[in-house]
Amino acid sequence: MSQNSRSRHNNRRNQQKHKSDRDTNYGEELNPVVKVFQEYALELDDKHDRYERIVKLSRDITIEAKRIIFLLHTIDGRKNNRSKVLEEAEQRLTKVIEVNFKSIALELTGQDPYQYRCSYSPGLQEFIEAYSFMEYYKNGADEMSGTMSDWMVLQQKMQYERDDKLNTIKDDSQKSIDSPNEVDIENDIKTVPQKFEFIVDPTEYILGIADLTGELMRRCINSLGSGETDVCLETCKVLQQLYSGYISLNVQRSRELSRKIYTMRQSVLKAENVCYNVKVRGGEAAKWGAVFENKMNDDLDEGFY
Amino acid sequence: MANFVNLEVFSNYQKYIDNEQEIRENIRIKVREIEQFVKEATIQLQAIHSDLSKIDSACQAARKQIASCAGVYKQLSEIIPHGQYYRYSDHWTYITQRLVFLIAMVVYLEAGFLVKRETVAEMLGLQVSHTQGFHLDIEDYLMGILQMASELSRFATNSVTMGDYDRPLNISHFMANLNSGFRLLNLKNDGLRKRFDALKYDVKKIEEVVYDISIRGLRNETPQPTAENAVSNETTSAEAKSD
Repeated sequence: MSQNSRSRHNNRRNQQKHKSDRDTNYGEELNPVVKVFQEYALELDDKHDRYERIVKLSRDITIEAKRIIFLLHTIDGRKNNRSKVLEEAEQRLTKVIEVNFKSIALELTGQDPYQYRCSYSPGLQEFIEAYSFMEYYKNGADEMSGTMSDWMVLQQKMQYERDDKLNTIKDDSQKSIDSPNEVDIENDIKTVPQKFEFIVDPTEYILGIADLTGELMRRCINSLGSGETDVCLETCKVLQQLYSGYISLNVQRSRELSRKIYTMRQSVLKAENVCYNVKVRGGEAAKWGAVFENKMNDDLDEGFY
Repeated sequence: MANFVNLEVFSNYQKYIDNEQEIRENIRIKVREIEQFVKEATIQLQAIHSDLSKIDSACQAARKQIASCAGVYKQLSEIIPHGQYYRYSDHWTYITQRLVFLIAMVVYLEAGFLVKRETVAEMLGLQVSHTQGFHLDIEDYLMGILQMASELSRFATNSVTMGDYDRPLNISHFMANLNSGFRLLNLKNDGLRKRFDALKYDVKKIEEVVYDISIRGLRNETPQPTAENAVSNETTSAEAKSD
């Protein structure tokens, strides 16, 4: 529906343009400047339209990723809903990979992905945040020693194959694991139109993971509210590890990353303060301390102070 | 859960980013070489504002400098990995725009028409489409052309000062074409749009110069340094300054 109205709008715009072309052509039928600029106009329009389409796709990804993160926050030790929520989150994330990212990858086939980076970067970062947050829960659920997957793993998941029928998705991530020659095929992706991929830029990945720390901080605070103090300590530990990972990076002139590291420090401090309060006052009192800024409550602080 | 964080990710990223920094460093060296040629060519072309008879020699000298850039662009293209033009393009967009401006200026002075994007790309040894390899970005080309418009409006006033009254008419016609060409483009609200907005002031300035010489009947006359001419020159340049 929205696609239709959009293309109609484009048509209208093109019609207007053609009309103005005709107007100028009355006077300057053979003006060579106007002639070449008509070509330039087509090229620029194509670029801008593609950019806008990707922005739209990216916005859908952002919204869905935010919802998945919200869903993941509902995981609560008391309700025993972990596996159910995780399953749903994973399903929805897979759907984002197979539908939304595939559309962006389709738009970008034969294009320089870095040219349109600004258009899809917010969606990709939000997606990485949601994905790694899901993995963080999954890791705890299975009691495995699994770690967060890096950009190469995501890259593997975002391999697609062109299909004539619409809406049928073939995910050849299995295949790519099986055949060691996959890398060679990937490099020739521009010449082979059958296969395409969404290129996960490592910088975007690092920026997306930086956003994860904000969610971990939220989880730390939330679990204080629900009384799961062990979760507070554990998220705080993860935050500290992530932070030390980030400050170990030596990146020149990346304003975006340094801004995120600054915010990350705030989150780490907040989580550390929560753990501190848990330790000195016990779980229940710390909750009130965090919420009401150390406001005294005669009924509750008894026995802890 | 405690071992969720994989610190290897960070060391891998560090390797990745170090590699990128190295490429950027190499690009910067090449861009600096191009900058040197561009500077030389710009200086050579300044001669047109003070001596009309030097135009041909200035164009030749500028062409020589521009031709030297093609070799450096070739080396630059070898540094850039395939399909990553826009990852690093911010290093050379400015200088490429400058080169487009110089080429457009030289071609206009020599032949009096607007240089095509294909011709510019050919002179710099670049491709036109990004699928063919290291290319000339369309926005860089358009930005360069807009820079030329400002330079031409300056040249119009100066050529009047030097007694050439036909040239402003020529330039005015050329700029009108250019303006109608740019108005065919649907520009987004970006840098190119801002630069395009300045084009109307350049057009206005040239039209005023044409107006000045027209009402005084100076067109199609052989330049004669009379008292009347001197007065008209003064008013023209004064008005141009107040713009």
